[in-house]
Amino acid sequence: MLGDFVTVYGAELARRIRSRPFIVGLLIGVVGVACFTLLPQLFISMDATSMYRVVLVADPPLAHRAADLLRQDFTVVATLPEQTPDASLLKRYKVAAAIVISRAGSSLHVAVYTKDPGNVAEGALRRDLIPLALEQETALPPGRIATLMKLPIGVHPVSSRFESSAASEAAHGIGFTLIFLLYIIILFNSQLVMTSVAEEKTTRIAELLVASVDPIALLAGKICAAATLALLQMLVWIAAAVALHGGLSTGSHGPAVRVADLIGANVMSPEVLIAFVLFFILGFFQLSTLFAALASLINRIEDLGSVTMPLVMPNVLAFIVALLALQAPDVPWIVGLSFVPGISPYIMFARMSVSDVPAWQVALSLAINAAALVAIVIAAGKIYRVGMLLYGRLPTFAQVWNVIRS
Amino acid sequence: MLVADHLCKEFGNIVAVRDVSFAIPGGTSFGLIGPNGAGKTTTMRLILGILAPDGGQLLWKSARVDAGMRRRFGYLPEERGLYGRISVQDQIRYFGRLHRLRPAEAAARTKRWIARLELEEYAERPCSELSKGNQQKVQVACAAVHTPELLVLDEPFSGLDPVNAEMLLSVLRDLMKEGTTLILSSHQMWQLEAACNTFCIVVGGSVRASGTLPELRSRWPTRVIRVAPASDSVCSVLDGVAGAKSLDRFDGAIEYEVPASTRFSELLARLVAVDAITRFEAVEPSLHDMFIHTVEGAA
Repeated sequence: MLGDFVTVYGAELARRIRSRPFIVGLLIGVVGVACFTLLPQLFISMDATSMYRVVLVADPPLAHRAADLLRQDFTVVATLPEQTPDASLLKRYKVAAAIVISRAGSSLHVAVYTKDPGNVAEGALRRDLIPLALEQETALPPGRIATLMKLPIGVHPVSSRFESSAASEAAHGIGFTLIFLLYIIILFNSQLVMTSVAEEKTTRIAELLVASVDPIALLAGKICAAATLALLQMLVWIAAAVALHGGLSTGSHGPAVRVADLIGANVMSPEVLIAFVLFFILGFFQLSTLFAALASLINRIEDLGSVTMPLVMPNVLAFIVALLALQAPDVPWIVGLSFVPGISPYIMFARMSVSDVPAWQVALSLAINAAALVAIVIAAGKIYRVGMLLYGRLPTFAQVWNVIRS
Repeated sequence: MLVADHLCKEFGNIVAVRDVSFAIPGGTSFGLIGPNGAGKTTTMRLILGILAPDGGQLLWKSARVDAGMRRRFGYLPEERGLYGRISVQDQIRYFGRLHRLRPAEAAARTKRWIARLELEEYAERPCSELSKGNQQKVQVACAAVHTPELLVLDEPFSGLDPVNAEMLLSVLRDLMKEGTTLILSSHQMWQLEAACNTFCIVVGGSVRASGTLPELRSRWPTRVIRVAPASDSVCSVLDGVAGAKSLDRFDGAIEYEVPASTRFSELLARLVAVDAITRFEAVEPSLHDMFIHTVEGAA
């Protein structure tokens, strides 16, 4: 059986690595990674250069001081004397908004004229101009007000592995990235296994194969080859991300952080990386084995969608719950779901990425998933053995259940 | 020698193989014949271990057939299948490897089979680009690349033109010379007659007749005789034979079915006595005739 496995594994690996779906998937992944790592920075720079371009309308002393403050978040293209801005003004200066600042007694009055009111960065505007309002109201010197505005806030983590909010934010970003990767790779490669089984079934080569080789060795070789390629795919994508960015993004506005720094700051611990690989293996083998069993039952490639949809939906749901788990890793229902086989690889990994999950919980989740995998392999093996030679109508659930019980 | 001993197989309420027994001497060829749904393919699948029998046993060289032995068997299923995107030579080599040939040996044999089946110009082309007949030849190579001890071929001639059918017959004879035992199923009786030493007619999952062609004929209860001229006096003599039945008239001759026990020399003498006989022919039953009569008799 080992010889069969090695032969099938080698042939599948050689065949798939040259196949168009794998190469296209690999390239699309690299492009996706590039977009994922570079686009946020591009958007930020676009924000700075076009969306936050403004003209300032105020009397010169006020305009001078306001421009200084606004430069923290905006590009002040011009300062203009008092007037009522209109669309032609915005067009002439190619700006998103005109900010009109005037005095009303000791108070400050600010008005924004824009073509897109939804695009006014009101929070940033308020934050930048409050010191000016305070200067007008209190007549305190700007330096004093600047000092008061810098209220020091100390963040002291309790029962957390992160030493700073930046590290925590980085962990969330990386957790999201890895869960997304986990989801895409498990689903994509499981579907490749499914298509391969369906191809053998529908081209009727299955009978020749099962007469030559043990069906379980055939299935195992196929799935392990797909797993190897999935790991290779993941390595290429991660390498692409590192090469493109010189590190991993910590979030939409955070600074870039080197991988070594992330490990040093306990953002990516070796345990998390090991868990990532283990949960990938368990999740992938569970789903691809089930996909293969179901694919062995169909007679036409067109039937694949209908038989596999019930398995795809829980994965989509698990992905969504995993994203919630990044925000609330210790909510009881999320903790409960992190032990449910099939979906727990995503959810438990999400919890591990952003919190200190007790080791026994991780071990229990891994053990439950491993036990589930054994049960799935036994059941799927029985279905696969029978399904590959079954032609005609799709079997009913009761018939499939009888095969599993046999 | 392969011995099938009271094999049976059921699928739910359907009995696919009721009671099939036969013995095939090593290095010979065996024709498994039957109408659609008779249980031929199921019997072949039982021999190859694709299905497990519900009863009976299979012996190869006096030992129960196991997975290790089955690896030395080969199979050409009725429903043809190939990996469409894989080249001819990769496909044959893959099946060689599945049958435990070493890589170099698998490559060498692949080359030989490609030459033997005149597939050189297609060797590097994907199988999906081949004609049905050439795909059939690739499948034969996949089934036989490891020179199996037992080769099971389900409808091997379907899809082949007469030239390629003749080539396949020649290949099968060569395999037999190398010691391969063959089991063939086909609805083309004349090809089976040319390819097989012994036969087994299966109807409704049970064996109705088996043996070599002479043995089957010797057990056949009737013979057909053709006599000319088709005169009234000749007909009256033939009508007088106990159990005789008039069948047909053609080209001035008359055709009768008579019991196999009829003494043809005596009958000829009586016919000569009544008319100037220009033709007297006792026709041995063909495999086709015996098959048709067996199936109709079973119905």
